[in-house]
Amino acid sequence: MTTAPQFKPAEPRPPARKSRWARTPKAPYLFILPYLLIFLTFWAWPIISSFMMSFKDSRLGETAPFGLSNWSRLVQDEFFRTALRNTLVIMIIQVPLMLSLATVLAVALNSKLLKAAGWFRFAFFAPLVVGTVAYSAVFRLLFNTDFGMVNRGLTSIGLPAVDWLNQSGPAMTVLILAMTWRWTGYNAIILLAGLQGISEDVYEAASIDGATPTQQFWKITLPLLRPSLLFCLVLSVIGTLQLFTEPALITNSGPGNATMTLGTYLYQQGFRSFNFGYASAIAYTVAAIAAIFSVVQLRLFGRDE
Amino acid sequence: MKKFALMTALALASAASAQSLSGTVTVWSWDAAAKALQSTVPSFNKKYPNVKVNVVDLGNQNVYDRGLAGCAAGGVDMPDVYSIENNEAEVFWARFPNCFVDLNTLGADKVAKNFPAFKWTELMAGNKRYAMPWDSGPVVIFYRRDLYQQAGVNPTAIKTWDDFIAAGKKVNAKFDGKVKMGIVGNGQDDEWFRMLANQNNCFYFDNAGTSVTVNKPGCVDALNTVKKLYDAQVVATGDWGGQITSFKSGKSASAMFGAWYEGTIRTNAPDQKGKWGVYPMPASKPGGVRAANLGGSALALPSSSKNKAAAYAFMENALATTGGQVAMLKSQGLVPSLLSATKDPYVKVAQPYWGNQKVWQTILDTLGDVPQARGTQYFQDARQVMIVVQADYIKGKYKTAKEALDDAAKKISSATGLPVAK
Repeated sequence: MTTAPQFKPAEPRPPARKSRWARTPKAPYLFILPYLLIFLTFWAWPIISSFMMSFKDSRLGETAPFGLSNWSRLVQDEFFRTALRNTLVIMIIQVPLMLSLATVLAVALNSKLLKAAGWFRFAFFAPLVVGTVAYSAVFRLLFNTDFGMVNRGLTSIGLPAVDWLNQSGPAMTVLILAMTWRWTGYNAIILLAGLQGISEDVYEAASIDGATPTQQFWKITLPLLRPSLLFCLVLSVIGTLQLFTEPALITNSGPGNATMTLGTYLYQQGFRSFNFGYASAIAYTVAAIAAIFSVVQLRLFGRDE
Repeated sequence: MKKFALMTALALASAASAQSLSGTVTVWSWDAAAKALQSTVPSFNKKYPNVKVNVVDLGNQNVYDRGLAGCAAGGVDMPDVYSIENNEAEVFWARFPNCFVDLNTLGADKVAKNFPAFKWTELMAGNKRYAMPWDSGPVVIFYRRDLYQQAGVNPTAIKTWDDFIAAGKKVNAKFDGKVKMGIVGNGQDDEWFRMLANQNNCFYFDNAGTSVTVNKPGCVDALNTVKKLYDAQVVATGDWGGQITSFKSGKSASAMFGAWYEGTIRTNAPDQKGKWGVYPMPASKPGGVRAANLGGSALALPSSSKNKAAAYAFMENALATTGGQVAMLKSQGLVPSLLSATKDPYVKVAQPYWGNQKVWQTILDTLGDVPQARGTQYFQDARQVMIVVQADYIKGKYKTAKEALDDAAKKISSATGLPVAK
């Protein structure tokens, strides 16, 4: 008896499972590879490296291990607290001032009554185009105690001259004025874009219902503008935390430390004292504060109803 | 005859080595200092005709920043000769000990004794000589002869700070308080404190750089004097630019600074020619020291230089020869720290701008009395503390100068990790 080979009917085999890797198209990754490499080398690595550096004493020859000393110094450092306090003061006074001004400006720029709107938009945006060094120099001149135009103006109408840059309160005022001058137009343009996204129908309906322009502003414009305002707010807060140019060039952090900000203190530690370890600790703290502020703002103002 | 042959052979040999130096030497410096170095190039090229010198004026801050970046990157993009301020020098040696050549290996130890000892303090680390002293800043009082005369003040009678304050009161009375005896950079800088403390043989740190000494009696006295000047209303506040506008407009009867300020006054107020004079800084008590130093620079040689022999030859010609130093004194008023240059005939020449006074003689005569002081690598940290403490003390935040400086010492100690001296 021959046993014929038994042929089982071939079971339909499931197609070979290709690995996830094999199924993924490679080309896109190849295309972004150069960017990724650059990102890793010039962004990710410095971020990690500066974190590691914050645990080292970079002041003694080659970097030596330093444990938590930079961090414990940060906790006790009176200068850091001064810098933090100054930064927060600027943030609390300047940011709301600037955003309110920007909102008013944006509404005015959006008005159909305004002639030559394009020219005004350019005019308000123009401060941003001016080089920071140039504008800082101009502000220093304007507020010069003996020869500045501001004091000339004050004395000409019978008011006393102010020693702007050599006293703490006035120096802070100059900073806030300078920043407001520079950044209000920028925020106004962003808000203007937000305003133009609001449909005319809403206002028409409101007018028909008899809402006054003031009511329209508070009940329609502001609520609908909230996403744009939030965007401006978050950007301004982060910008203020990194504030450097104005205090460095207009007031030179002074008098004393009266206008020293986190940015100028970080720079002073890193590039005047060469204390990169401590500067890294400061940088990480600033980044953490910025992250916390952003989350809080998004939570508080970002909810959609 | 034998001796003559030997001399000829030696001369030929040195001429040959001078001929053999060639290539380009790039020098980084700033403003007037760069112009001064440029003025030494002709005499250098007489000795070394095949070396081309390229002095680059980057501006003070840029030289410091680019040097930092270059050293941090392990010595790339550095010049052959690097200008460095004494106060800031130790930061470089401490953070980047391999970024610069030990000049002793090129023969600097042989010329060391030609400079006053205090000029080397900040330029050495251990036995290594990282830079060669350049100019110095012996402190003097620059004064307006005409304004003093109108107020009835005799500058030669001002021997102590109390005399200075009394003179200031006369000036106040004469000009209704519109003219001041000096402008202090209070809140922006602590220069007056540093000059007065140095005069009293006190500074932020001891000369070994191992402890904080800012609350020692000499410094307490210095801070006290600054406050007394303010309380008597004989000085006003102003930053660097403010001080210049002030003397230009005739609101300052005098100014106290390192002697390098001579050029600043002369070039900013050429119309006040003949009206200015110079006298030594007042002492803290009768018969006390009337000298201090503020500022001054040095030249260093980056390790990455491809042309070290030529670079060193340039430094030596500019700084370690009387000819080089006097050329810089003539062109930009940089005060030599080379001892032989201080005896050059030019020093005794009457200067027309200064009312034909032999100002360099007056200024250089104080050089030997300057007490040593050391910036250390923590200079900037300490200075930042002191600027604030001085301003707060003037404002009345502390009861006594001692209390203010105890607080400053504590803060400097926590910023630097150095103990406060007992």
